[in-house]
Formats: sequence, structure tokens, C-alpha cells
Amino acid sequence: MGLESKLGDNIFTTQLDKFLNWGRKNSLWPMPFGTACCAIEFMSVMQNKYDLARFGAEAMRFSPRQSDLLIVAGRVSIKMMPVLQRIYRQMAEPKWVISMGACASSGGIFDTYSTIQGIDNFIPVDAYAPGCPPRPETLLDAIIKLQKKIETERSIHYK
Amino acid sequence: MATPLEMLQKVQDKFSDNILKTSDRLGEATVSIERDCIVDLMNFLRDDTDLAFDFLMDLCGVDYLEMGGFERFGVTYHLYSMKYNHRIRVKAFIPETDPKIDTVSHLWHAANWAEREVYDMYGIGFNNHPDMRRILNPDDFEGFPLRKEFPAEGIGYRDNFEKIERLGAQ
Ligand code: SF4
Repeated sequence: MGLESKLGDNIFTTQLDKFLNWGRKNSLWPMPFGTACCAIEFMSVMQNKYDLARFGAEAMRFSPRQSDLLIVAGRVSIKMMPVLQRIYRQMAEPKWVISMGACASSGGIFDTYSTIQGIDNFIPVDAYAPGCPPRPETLLDAIIKLQKKIETERSIHYK
Repeated sequence: MATPLEMLQKVQDKFSDNILKTSDRLGEATVSIERDCIVDLMNFLRDDTDLAFDFLMDLCGVDYLEMGGFERFGVTYHLYSMKYNHRIRVKAFIPETDPKIDTVSHLWHAANWAEREVYDMYGIGFNNHPDMRRILNPDDFEGFPLRKEFPAEGIGYRDNFEKIERLGAQ
């Protein structure tokens, strides 16, 4: 917010942080980066049975500039990695990344020349959803974990 | 509709010098040829009134290595005739020392991208192709992934990206 750089780390900014984090964690705007089968599972998370709206994250945006949660669902090929990095760079701070599925997190079964062995080698990842594909509950779990993480963030670190 | 034997006979009569082997195993006509006659043969198969192979179903590369091909590499063409509902398979063999063959993309436009894929994966060049570039791998990729000597994990391309750090990392 710019305020904290003047005020430093005091009771006022910590209370402000709490308030901001409360707002941020309950209104995540996901940007789906679906490249394979995991993206299909991600769709079911958005639908009414699992309903991501319960966690305040139903406003999907297909533009990185309008979203603050990048969900990488599926394998990322060597041709796609520069695209993913570019999308990550286009997102405004603060931003978070969920790596959904075995492929995005580690390459999964695709130990091949064309598959990135875990996107966390090249972009920062905040939460992982394990599974092939992860069940919707697993992704919800990752989002809840991410919300817990957002609660503890300090705006003083975003200068 | 021509039976496999009739088709093979027709091809045999015309191209006997360049044919390495023919087969009608399982009722499928297969003809193995030297690469030099590929355009003439394909032209003949397409334009002959009794054969009329108007559809190139698929075209793919093969690395025979120790699988007993006539040469190290091969390009396999699968043709189909919409008119007569019959098929033929053509195998052209290509030596490792000079991996090149003439394009058939002027006969069937479908061959254009398929030939680029063969080039991308096996490094087999197609003479006179209108746009001989890689199609699946990045342009600066090195090596030909489907050649047998290429390691499945690649030779480092997948590990060579810039690492983006978290802003305000704690
Ligand atoms: S983890 Fe499984 S479901 Fe997800 S993209 Fe990979 S193969 Fe598909």
C-alpha cells in the first residue's frame, strides 16, 4: 500500500496487514493455466458440486493482469515454459501459484526431453496439489493451505 | 477396387528396378522402395485410373537401427483411395549418411506438416519442401528426439530456463 514503507513495522501496519490479508485470502482471483487432463478436473472444482465460490475464488480471469492466483494444471512442455513465465511476470503483486497435479509439480510419469520436471524449478510455487489428477478435495485443500499462508504474510515485504 | 496382388503387380511392372520388396501379408499391400523413385511412384499411385490413391492418410518416419530395415531410416506412407476404398503402404528407405528424400507435399498438401514432423523428430530432410522447419520442438532445439540414440530424458534443454525468484523473498 506504500504506507508501510513510511511507518515501518509497528502496530498500525500489522493491523493493516491483517485486514488486507483477510481481504486477499477470501477473494482470490484464479487464472487457470490448464495444459492437460488436470485442467478437466479443475473444471469440476469450479462447478456446483465442489464450488470454489465457497472459498471466494470463483471469479476466474483468463487474463493474468486481472488475477492473483495462477493455477498450473497439467504438464508444461519446453515450448510452454517461456509462455508460463511470461504469464507469471504479467501478474501484478501480490500473486500466488498453485501447482496442480503430479506433472506440474514434478513432471509426473513424463520423464522426457520435452516435459519440465516441476515448474518450481523456474517459477515460485506456494502450494502443491498432489495426485494424478488430484481429486477436487485435494485442490480445495491446497487453496485452504494457501489461504492460511496468505494470513501470515507481511506487506512490509512487498516494497 | 483392386486386390493387393493386383496393385502390387501394377507397381511391380512399372518400377521393378527400384523395388526392394513387396508383400501382401494379411491382405495389406506393402511395397518397399529405394528413395530415388518416391515422387514418380507416388505420382503414379495417385494418377493411375485403376488405383486413384487420392488421400494420403499418414506419413511417418522410422528409425530401424537394428530392426532389419534395408537402411537405417525409413519414411512410411499410407495411402487410401476414396474412389475404390483400397489402401497401400509404401516404405522408402534412407541411408544414415545422407538422410534426405524428395517431398510429396506438392502431390498431397497433407504431407506438408507430416514431413516437417519427420524432419523434427528424425532429422530426415525433404528436398523441395516449401517450408522445411521444425514443427513441434522449439526452433533452437538440438538433436532429433525420436532417433534411437537420443536419450529419453533429453540433453538438457528442459533444465535450461531462467529461474524467476519470488519478489520480496523472505
Ligand atoms: S498429473 Fe495426471 S491428470 Fe494431471 S496432467 Fe499429469 S497425467 Fe494428467
